[in-house]
Amino acid sequence: MSVVENNGAVPENWEPKIIAFCCHWCTYTGADLAGLNRMNYPANVRVLRIPCSGRMNPQYVIEALNKGCDGVLVCGCHPGDCHYVTGNYYARRRMLIFKRLLEYEGLEPDRFQVRWISGAEAGKFRDTVMSVVEQVRALGPLNLTREIPQFELPRVPDDEGAFDAVPEEVTA
Amino acid sequence: MTAQDIIRTRAKELLESGEVATFIGWEAGRFENQTTPLVITDAADADKLVFNEYCVNTLAKYVRDVIPRGKVGLVVRGCDSRGIIRLVADKVIKREDVYLIGVGCPGIKDRKTGEMLKKCAECRHNNPPEFDEMAGEVAEKPVAVERFAEVAEVEAMAQPDRSRYFESVYAKCIRCYACRDVCPCCTCRECFVDQRRENWVGKQNNVAENRFYGLTRVMHIGDRCIECGECERVCPMDLPLMKLNRKVIQDMNDLFGEFESSLSLEDTTEPLIEYRLDDVEEFM
Amino acid sequence: MILNKQKVAALLDHLSGARDVFVPATVDGVAKFARYGEGVQPDFGMVNTTMPPKDLLFPQTQKMYHFDVDANGSYRIHEYDESREQVVFGIRPCDMRSIVCMDEVFLTKGFVDEFYANARDKLLTVCVGCAQAAETCFCDSMGVDPQMAPNADVMLQDCGDAYLVLAQTEKGEAEVAEWSAFTEEADAQPVTCDLTLKVDMEGVVDKLEGMYDAPIWDNLSIKCLNCGTCTYVCPTCHCFDISQDMRRKDGIRFRCWDSCMFSEYTMMAGGHNPRPEKLERVRNRFMHKLNFFERRYGMSLCVGCGRCVEKCPVALDITRLIDEIGAYDA
Repeated sequence: MSVVENNGAVPENWEPKIIAFCCHWCTYTGADLAGLNRMNYPANVRVLRIPCSGRMNPQYVIEALNKGCDGVLVCGCHPGDCHYVTGNYYARRRMLIFKRLLEYEGLEPDRFQVRWISGAEAGKFRDTVMSVVEQVRALGPLNLTREIPQFELPRVPDDEGAFDAVPEEVTA
Repeated sequence: MTAQDIIRTRAKELLESGEVATFIGWEAGRFENQTTPLVITDAADADKLVFNEYCVNTLAKYVRDVIPRGKVGLVVRGCDSRGIIRLVADKVIKREDVYLIGVGCPGIKDRKTGEMLKKCAECRHNNPPEFDEMAGEVAEKPVAVERFAEVAEVEAMAQPDRSRYFESVYAKCIRCYACRDVCPCCTCRECFVDQRRENWVGKQNNVAENRFYGLTRVMHIGDRCIECGECERVCPMDLPLMKLNRKVIQDMNDLFGEFESSLSLEDTTEPLIEYRLDDVEEFM
Repeated sequence: MILNKQKVAALLDHLSGARDVFVPATVDGVAKFARYGEGVQPDFGMVNTTMPPKDLLFPQTQKMYHFDVDANGSYRIHEYDESREQVVFGIRPCDMRSIVCMDEVFLTKGFVDEFYANARDKLLTVCVGCAQAAETCFCDSMGVDPQMAPNADVMLQDCGDAYLVLAQTEKGEAEVAEWSAFTEEADAQPVTCDLTLKVDMEGVVDKLEGMYDAPIWDNLSIKCLNCGTCTYVCPTCHCFDISQDMRRKDGIRFRCWDSCMFSEYTMMAGGHNPRPEKLERVRNRFMHKLNFFERRYGMSLCVGCGRCVEKCPVALDITRLIDEIGAYDA
């Protein structure tokens, strides 16, 4: 899926872009708690809230990778703790299969990860995010055929830079 | 009487008696050894029906389209019959809506080379598991090639090679959706690719969009796939689609227990709509 | 003037120096017109490629323009023109006829499609006549001569060991004048090509006028799967859809092949679909091929290449349909 032929051609100042799909009831709350506790974690992760990990459509993952993410993290409640009782059991089966399918097609295993993180596990959220970022950083940019080709017009100044800035103490 | 004679006679009787409104089988095509599906409503057309070792098309999917015309009779081999079981399990049709004339399948040959088709060489169930009556004898059980041999081949490749391999596969896809349209498991009233307003998948033909379609197709049908191999046969670009389907099936076998989809009306296991509390845990 | 078949490779090397030369070849298991170069082995004996050469003029996905918003909030548009000098070497007379059809659609009746026109202007067509036919070929029944394509810039008629070179347009004459290192002044007799598949088009066009509600459409469409294979392998199918992909404030507008076999093709904004079922779609496709196009442009939109006959997953065969129309008695 990704052609691992970066050959050191990693662009200067490149930062991995990772999207985290977080269950509303557990992981999103956990991320919130991490914020309340002033925990530092890399800004490379963009958190998207989903109602339940059972809502996690495999298409979201492909779309994220197609649209420019270098890695995808899916997080939900621990099995047994689902707000909807069984949602994450279905998600577990689906993601087990889907992860193997992506790896079969050549995606590096670290680029797509699933973790169960409860609302109290702010530390686990931070640690997970940091480890995923570092793993993806080590892999380099995901070279995929994108839908919109790179274009040579000057970039439009907008708020995009805000996301790319990573606090030094985190990357160090 | 050969199976073909029985099929013709029974089709005629069924249509004449009004027990079925339409009958689905095969007729001879224009070229030597070519056949094409045939849907008849008139008993007089029953003599057009043929059954030989060149009947490549599976017929189950047609039932969905002709069911509004009344009860359907059709000839079923292993793959057709499992397709019917699939449609019943998916509640697309009811079992009593179809009358199944079973035939043992000797394996279908390519009309040009005379060799057995890949899908038939891989077949594990050539006799219909579900039928109302049999025309002729059951066929000998085929010696199927190792079910997951081609999956193992791909798995043996290094990760960058796999990546390149599938990039080249998706680069060839022209997105004609023949694989979807022929599949007895693809029974959505409206396919996600046709939902333009939701824009699930873009219309550009490129590796990214083709991969999006390909992966979604596999995730949608993987736990229900009857391994008839029709998707691979109809693909005008000869994409190795069963390598994807079987990968998913193999993993489900390994993780959730041995299963084979649609072998009987009673057991319609679909691993992805079920769960166990003690499923494999990798995400802690 | 003749071109010895053994010198074709040298000629292709010569041509591909400055331009992209496309030749019939099997690449990655798909027979198509591929860019001549390393790893592409031209196969001029192959009667018909699986994929038609229409994507040289009308790519499956064609970027039209890129748009974004500048600092003042106004839209900027940058048009794409990806047309370049191309040579198609080894195109068959049936596919040359398909280019006549496409020219009519994209260049006449007061509508000029700039993307097509640019690509067409820069395309040099070198047509190779057929020495043998596939079992699915029926071009002569559709009015195409398998050894002659009047609209090709250069016509190479197959004479066994050599090609008879005919420069048919100004562009072709200028081109052939440069080939003196490869050609010889000699005469040769083109071999005849016998087609086994014949259809009788006599009266079919007029007869179709009264057959809109004939039962043959139901018999035909019932076995159609409604996939897009026939339309995508067809050298004359030219329907497209325009759409865009956006990321934040910029994106591209593109057009891509579309197929009248898809339910979404005729879907209207309000949710009404004038061709809701297979029957209407299949009827439209064949009516367009055999009747509508003939009425508008005076030629058949089927060129008899046989690709759909070969590739249809359910062997739904246009030649059998033409026979059925001929035999139809209202």
